[in-house]
Amino acid sequence: MAKKRNATILVAVITVAAVVILFWRPTVLIYGLQAAGLYASIAIPMGLILGIVHIVNLAHGEFMMLAAYATFMVCQAFGLDPFVAMVPVALVTAAFGFMIYKLTIRQALKSPELNQLILTFGISIAITQLINLSFTSQTRKMSFDYVSASVDIGELSFGIYNFVFVVIAILMVIGLRLYLTKTISGKAALAVGQNPKGASIVGIDVDKTYGFVFALASGMIGMMGALFITRSSIFPGVGGPFTMKSFCLIAMAGVGNIPGILGASVLLGISENFLKAFRGTRGWADIVFFVLIITVILGRSIKGKKA
Amino acid sequence: MILEVKKLETGYGKLQVLRGIDLSVGKESVGLFGPNGAGKTTIINAIMGIVKPWAGTVEFEGKSIGGNPTHMVARAGIALVPQERELFPGMSVADNLELGAAYVPRGKPIMAQQLEVVLTLFPILKERYTQLVGTMSGGQQRMVAIGRALMANPALLILDEPSLGLQPSIVAEVFDRLAILKKDIAILVTEQNVRESLKAIDRGYVIENGVVLLEDTAKGLANNPHVISAYLGI
Ligand SMILES: Nc1ncnc2c1ncn2[C@@H]1O[C@H](COP(=O)(O)OP(=O)(O)OP(=O)(O)O)[C@@H](O)[C@H]1O
Ligand SMILES: [Mg+2]
Repeated sequence: MAKKRNATILVAVITVAAVVILFWRPTVLIYGLQAAGLYASIAIPMGLILGIVHIVNLAHGEFMMLAAYATFMVCQAFGLDPFVAMVPVALVTAAFGFMIYKLTIRQALKSPELNQLILTFGISIAITQLINLSFTSQTRKMSFDYVSASVDIGELSFGIYNFVFVVIAILMVIGLRLYLTKTISGKAALAVGQNPKGASIVGIDVDKTYGFVFALASGMIGMMGALFITRSSIFPGVGGPFTMKSFCLIAMAGVGNIPGILGASVLLGISENFLKAFRGTRGWADIVFFVLIITVILGRSIKGKKA
Repeated sequence: MILEVKKLETGYGKLQVLRGIDLSVGKESVGLFGPNGAGKTTIINAIMGIVKPWAGTVEFEGKSIGGNPTHMVARAGIALVPQERELFPGMSVADNLELGAAYVPRGKPIMAQQLEVVLTLFPILKERYTQLVGTMSGGQQRMVAIGRALMANPALLILDEPSLGLQPSIVAEVFDRLAILKKDIAILVTEQNVRESLKAIDRGYVIENGVVLLEDTAKGLANNPHVISAYLGI
């Protein structure tokens, strides 16, 4: 009961804050939501892996960066649009993720968590350096007309392209929810996440499920890599901060809570853009996620102690 | 024979638990008795491929399954109700039951019928059909675990301490149900509650320190002085 009331209060506070911001600095809200869409759609595949395979993939952002470079090459070579290139890129990234799982992650599943972290951290460094060596550290950029689409409402003018990511994030949440609760193979994946031993006892191939989930999540992040290049320039280290932010969002939402990632992303996106709105605090925007994650984890520990 | 275990040895790490177990289950109901730590669950783990046999053979319906991965053993037709239940706590009763059958070739085509059987056996599961299993009581979860195993339409049903945590009236009920089931399914069951289970089984083994100490019919065991003093507590 108390839990429900707390949640209601929290939602009310956030709604009031959002309404206040909407009237006072509408762009904070608009760009905050757009950033939230991007953060969420990058974090969700990582959350899927953590929720089912129970692995923190510290190479998550690097998977995205790799897919972005693949898209860059494909688009340059064939004159494709990233929205077309994302299909083959997602498939290739899925295959790449599956291979990484089979060759490395799978072997480390039974070892201590620290070893798993070191493993995925090592993979992230290897991927970054591989790109660094083959493409140099020079930034690459592609520009597309549709990215600058904007809307004027009265005095207010703002870019709308990045709402694409909000749509994608929502579709990801809905799609995963339907898959995990309505299909047999999705239910089996959920069951493996909740109790791998129980799952094997009823005939579910746990290893195959892990491999599939890893490939699925890699394909999703591959798609995000393809679209990432439409809005940002890329360089070998571009993925790193997204690994950190994704991890932060998943921790805020709680492991296994995929819709919660949406809420956490909105909080992060709006707070960042709030700080960016003032000249004095602009530089602080990049560390707001540290403050958020520390607050959330401390809050949870204190609550845990009380209970 | 449905299940035939010969000279089975296994353990955990360096610790040897089973030191040459011979046992078999035909179209009947067989009990495994013994003190805590005797190795009953370990025998089951070795049959299910949860631990790998170090030596000896496990045959199911004439085919060797020793060392096969657990999901293959389950698909071949052995269903397990584990001592720790091993359910999916964040999923509904309905989903837990469905997953009991979905990956087993013997169970999948007759899923609807099996569901009918399970819900008739445990009417409470019909009432709680959409409840999350993690929010149910221990006894109710035990019923979900038994139901989930039956959904697979197994040729061999293994139950590890099915009465653990159940109130006495339900224990009696579970054994009544097992007595009904054994008409169609071979059963291997471990129990602390030897008195109740002797009523429901045909034969039994007493396991102590990783070896078979005794093997006899239910009646024979009930009259055996060792069983009487050590397990029936008279
Ligand atoms: N996962 C494990 N790792 C290491 N040792 C184990 C493990 N499981 C069981 N053992 C050891 O194996 C021995 C046999 O255990 P087992 O669980 O088979 O006994 P049991 O007859 O089922 O006992 P109970 O009646 O308490 O369920 C025990 O000495 C136990 O300490
Ligand atoms: Mg046991």
